[in-house]
Amino acid sequence: MAMRTPKVELRDLAGTLKHYLLALVILAIWTGLLWFFRNVLSTQVVALLYLLAVILSATLWGLGSGILSSLAAFLTFNYLFIPPYHTFAVQLPEDLLALCVFLIVAVVISQLLGMARAGVQAATAREREATQLYELSIALSGLQEIPAIARTLGEQICETFCADGVEVVLSPLGVSAPYRCSLPENTKLPAADPDGSFPMTTARGTQGKVNLWRSASPLSAQEQRMLRTFTSQGALAVEHSLLAEASNRTKVLEESDRLKTSLLSSVSHELRTPLATIKAAVSSLRTDEGDLDEASQAELLAQIEEESDHLNLLVGNLLNSTRIELGALNPQRKWNSLAEIVSAVLKRMRQVTANHIIQVDIPSDLPLLPVDYYQIEQVFTNLISNSVKYAPVGTQIQIDARAGVIEGAVLVRVSNQGPSVPEADLGRIFDKFYRITSADQVAGTGLGLSICKGIIEAHGGKIWASNAPGWFLFNFSLPLTLDPAPQKPTGNGVDLVPTNLQRNGEDPVPINPKRNGEDPVPINPKRNGVEGAAPQHPEESKTT
Amino acid sequence: MTAQPRILVIDDEAQILRALRTILSAKKFQVELASRGEEGLALAAANPPDLVILDLGLPDMDGVEVCAQLREWTQVPIIVLSVRESERDKVAALDKGADDYLTKPFGIEELLARIRVALRHSAQAMGSPRTVVVAGPIQVDLAGHTVQRAGGDVKLTATEFKLLAYLAANSNRVLTHQAILSHVWDAGDADHVEYLRVYIAQLRKKLEANPEEPQYLLTEPGIGYRFITDD
Repeated sequence: MAMRTPKVELRDLAGTLKHYLLALVILAIWTGLLWFFRNVLSTQVVALLYLLAVILSATLWGLGSGILSSLAAFLTFNYLFIPPYHTFAVQLPEDLLALCVFLIVAVVISQLLGMARAGVQAATAREREATQLYELSIALSGLQEIPAIARTLGEQICETFCADGVEVVLSPLGVSAPYRCSLPENTKLPAADPDGSFPMTTARGTQGKVNLWRSASPLSAQEQRMLRTFTSQGALAVEHSLLAEASNRTKVLEESDRLKTSLLSSVSHELRTPLATIKAAVSSLRTDEGDLDEASQAELLAQIEEESDHLNLLVGNLLNSTRIELGALNPQRKWNSLAEIVSAVLKRMRQVTANHIIQVDIPSDLPLLPVDYYQIEQVFTNLISNSVKYAPVGTQIQIDARAGVIEGAVLVRVSNQGPSVPEADLGRIFDKFYRITSADQVAGTGLGLSICKGIIEAHGGKIWASNAPGWFLFNFSLPLTLDPAPQKPTGNGVDLVPTNLQRNGEDPVPINPKRNGEDPVPINPKRNGVEGAAPQHPEESKTT
Repeated sequence: MTAQPRILVIDDEAQILRALRTILSAKKFQVELASRGEEGLALAAANPPDLVILDLGLPDMDGVEVCAQLREWTQVPIIVLSVRESERDKVAALDKGADDYLTKPFGIEELLARIRVALRHSAQAMGSPRTVVVAGPIQVDLAGHTVQRAGGDVKLTATEFKLLAYLAANSNRVLTHQAILSHVWDAGDADHVEYLRVYIAQLRKKLEANPEEPQYLLTEPGIGYRFITDD
């Protein structure tokens, strides 16, 4: 920058000279006019009129021009209007006095006006700077991402300083790769060295730098000062965004910590219940002195086995929940038959569902789906176990699946005749630990539905709940192809279902238009109520 | 086979070892226990067992590796134990020569059934193989290339028969997708599980009373298939 200083001075000098010249020109014209009217003007009036010219120069071009104008006026006044004419000599002492007073007044006025003008100029410049800085800070405020900060800073600098090109290089502390952003867009930066390079520094260190190219005119000292302010504003924004990020991370950690605490308390309670049953059954069997008949013994043993299965389910849910939280669900998607999965789930849940009428309607020509067998099994297990928990004994639970209702996906529904859920809560029931009823009324970890959501979304599908007269429905979609990349568990799934379908409370998708009478869940008429409470799978022949 | 088959259990969990020793001894098996892979391999070499029950999650070495090392010198039946979530290990162990698997937690009757199948299969491998396999109403004549259902002939395509014959010859044992595909088709098709599904569906239609709820041609989710016979 030091090399540029003479140039800058030279430019300022040229401007000053121009102003001086202009002042002299004005004075010359003014003198001409006065000379023309010299016969009608008295010496005093000429002096006053000369003062006008001085005031004009001082106002327009500042102190120097005013003083110059004053001196020139003093000389021409003396030379042309004070006898003896055309000499600098002064005849009368009072004329000399008038001349001196004129000079003093002219110089004082010049000085006052010049200072006022400089003050106004400084104030204007300050105001402009303040406005530009204000605009910059408004633009930067609320920006959280490094690229956005770099862009905005670059744009503002480009605009304010009329630069040919600006490059912002951000390399915040603790971030490995520097981020580069050059403006204007789609234009290559000049190959030459930048005309100005400014570090972005805060009290905590250097966050990057700004390179600026401007061929039109070099940067003035004031502009350089301004640029430094700009870059430090940018640096502050970067620092602020880093701090905000850190604080966000802390918040997430705190939230997850809170979740873990409630998970622990919920889980330990939930694990103890089956353990208590097992312990009670086993101890009564061990201490039996012949009071237990064969039927009671068999009942206790059956309970032990059931509760063990329940424990196993709980542990599976816990594990999946952790995986979803870690984003490590990684479904092993292979071509599986939904009918097979459902039938395997129902077989395993025979005891649990014994008090409900289970009806399955999955067409035999339903295509194979690219899903993780175990995870989708878990989804059905959780949805059915939730249905069993809330639906009154003796009511129906229906499971159906249809291709062609949603483009590129299969729609699956698990419906029960349990109480409906308020519209406002429909979306929230898939949140972790969310319960409509108070926790002590219904057992459970409060994880089941959130796991379903995590799994379905990891498969690129969507899950939602809806009410229909007399029914409560869990709906989910599973893509027919592997192509839709699996979504992040917490992200939004592929929008397979128009949002209005998710929101309204009616039966979301009339699967079978012919049967949209009272029964909201069309089912295979042949099976309707015929097979009653008996689970619809023949006993598996045991390997012997 | 001796009167009392010897079973070697390799598992690092003391509770499982304790329970298995109690139960298997009660069922008149001789039981040897090892809690580490190396120890199990040494015991097997010192006194070859009739069957090995191997947990895949061992502290000192990978269960799949134990399986592979055993297979280097013995054809002793191996039943692997694993937790539900690690089906990939299970498939790897089966492909490395394990005969069957069980998912923890398992019912003891399941374990006993697997043990019986494995022991019988190894006995058969030494004697002459069966040529007719019967499963309920289904009768597969491996030598005569015919299949009957409830006394009537069932027409199968060549590939369908090849698939059914492979399953029937290994009845009651789990066969991985890969094993079936490379045996019935060829090694290049080992990834095309969807072919297999189509053919299994066709076989079920021809052989099962209710193809939706198969009784004989069972799916082992994520692993393969198992053909169940009565005996």
